Amino acid sequence: MLAGPVTARHDTTEIRVTPEHLTDVMTALHDQPELRFLILSDLAGVDTGTVMQVVYHLWSDATPDWLRVICGDLLRDDPRIPSVTFLWNGAEWAEREAYDMFGIIFEGNRDLRRIYMSPDYQSFPLRKDFLLPDDSSRSPGMGIRHMEQAAPPAETRSAPTLRRGTGAATIAPGDAPTTATLPAAIGPEASA
Amino acid sequence: MTADPTLVRSLDDPDLMVQTPATIYDAIPPYPPRTEREAEFYAMGDGEMLINIGPQHPSTHGVLRVVLKIDGERVVDLDPVLGYLHRGVEKICENGDWHHAISNCDPLEYIASMFSEAMPVLVAEKLLDLEVPRRAEYIRVLAWELNRIASHMLFIGWLALDLGGLTPILYGFIERDEIVEMLAALTGQRLLFNYLRIGGVNGDLNHEFLSRLGDWMSHALKRADDESKLLNSNEIFVHRTRGLGVIDRDMARRTCLTGPPLRATGIPYDVRRAHPYSVYPELEFDIPTREEGDSYARYLLHLDEIKQSIHIIDQVLGKMPDGPVMAKVPRLLRVPPGRAYIAIESPRGQYSCFGMSDGSDQPFRLRIHDPSYFNLQAVGLLMPGHLIADTMAIMASLDPIMGGIDK
Repeated sequence: MLAGPVTARHDTTEIRVTPEHLTDVMTALHDQPELRFLILSDLAGVDTGTVMQVVYHLWSDATPDWLRVICGDLLRDDPRIPSVTFLWNGAEWAEREAYDMFGIIFEGNRDLRRIYMSPDYQSFPLRKDFLLPDDSSRSPGMGIRHMEQAAPPAETRSAPTLRRGTGAATIAPGDAPTTATLPAAIGPEASA
Repeated sequence: MTADPTLVRSLDDPDLMVQTPATIYDAIPPYPPRTEREAEFYAMGDGEMLINIGPQHPSTHGVLRVVLKIDGERVVDLDPVLGYLHRGVEKICENGDWHHAISNCDPLEYIASMFSEAMPVLVAEKLLDLEVPRRAEYIRVLAWELNRIASHMLFIGWLALDLGGLTPILYGFIERDEIVEMLAALTGQRLLFNYLRIGGVNGDLNHEFLSRLGDWMSHALKRADDESKLLNSNEIFVHRTRGLGVIDRDMARRTCLTGPPLRATGIPYDVRRAHPYSVYPELEFDIPTREEGDSYARYLLHLDEIKQSIHIIDQVLGKMPDGPVMAKVPRLLRVPPGRAYIAIESPRGQYSCFGMSDGSDQPFRLRIHDPSYFNLQAVGLLMPGHLIADTMAIMASLDPIMGGIDK
């Protein structure tokens, strides 16, 4: 059922699962008496720049180590994953946050609304292609209208973009920091 | 196409039509329910009505709005609305370097910011495999425990204040002020310390800090006892907390509660023991628990924890090793790629952070798990069935800090 090798580093064991097997794996980890991963320590959405992931951290009194479950390779255009609220109802708000910030749809969460942003907000701020206007004139975010996108992300985007640094890697000093140096798919104006 | 009267032109983007704020923040939203839960909440039964508490209300401890569905004086259901303090700290951290993240994380838990500022520090240290000098570890534990006591003292004051008692918060503030002044002598700041550094702490202990600490230690235990005498047997206080807001053990665990609300149900889950970090394995202390799971148990637990923290500080001062307080860390810190997860026990529960690095000098992702965010969820289970006046006492007993909840 695991989608990759089990790895361990420091005090954390890492396993990878696919969304189809997530429910079974989590139920087994929670219910099997020799595993007893009863405490959900954290639920985090992650945008790797190419795919979306949901990362769970579990704790069991059977071992002092954390267990990290990476449920991954969700499509950026339609990230869907089963909810774990049937095991931990406290995951409800964590999933709402991941939905609000990344647009990940948790199937089975009965209250999947935005939690931080207002109901009319349309973007997903923690996605890697959501750029902030920066003080730095070299910032790739400069000149991009970022706050609200007229269309939902699934329709505006073809190629995901990944931005690192303050732009030194993508825009050489002295280059005009225009949108032309950026991949074409950022922002609503590109698709028009 | 007919114009929708609820839509107005967005201030941010003139091409875009958005819902008017006036309709979004009406008690009953103008749009059809978006989720199963929302449909259930806004389907009104006979004699039920909605009232709005907050977002600016003294007893919500920040800017939290709660829509209460009430039948007479009894709360039937509620819907907390968050986000009034949302700053996007996680996104800001991704745009600064690892050192910037420390001061960005500071104001999350603004009552005990020594804990929230530790998040990027500990994650970076784990990714770097950095050995922190032992003196720095001891100083960190000292600062954490002092901050925990200051936070707990305020909790007791706030809880009493929400029940109408003005005296305890004055005493709580006396105690907190001594600790805050002490930490100001150590770090230079009273509230947002910005003291921890990747690889150690910003400065060594100084004379003013130590003399203030000595003064405070001489009466700390007595003050904690005084504080408990104020409220422990106060009839009104006990009547309004005992048996209120009861959550059972299994439900508390499933609701992802941590910290005092979880330990008040009898689960001895404390990260300092469950997953030891720093020098806590070398120190001797108990994890106080209670069985009742009500507001009163949570209150008593805070008193017990203050005493345990004083005990820890006592040991730390006795064992404080000599040596440097900073490891050698480059100014431009390139953190090796990888994932790391760390957790510490804050006054409100497990404060944890999942960090990812791609090898650059900036965090790729810094997910901060705030215990208040998860503890606040329990109000949906605890409040229904109680009187409106008691709801705020129940919320105060969970000790939420909106700075961390809204991030």
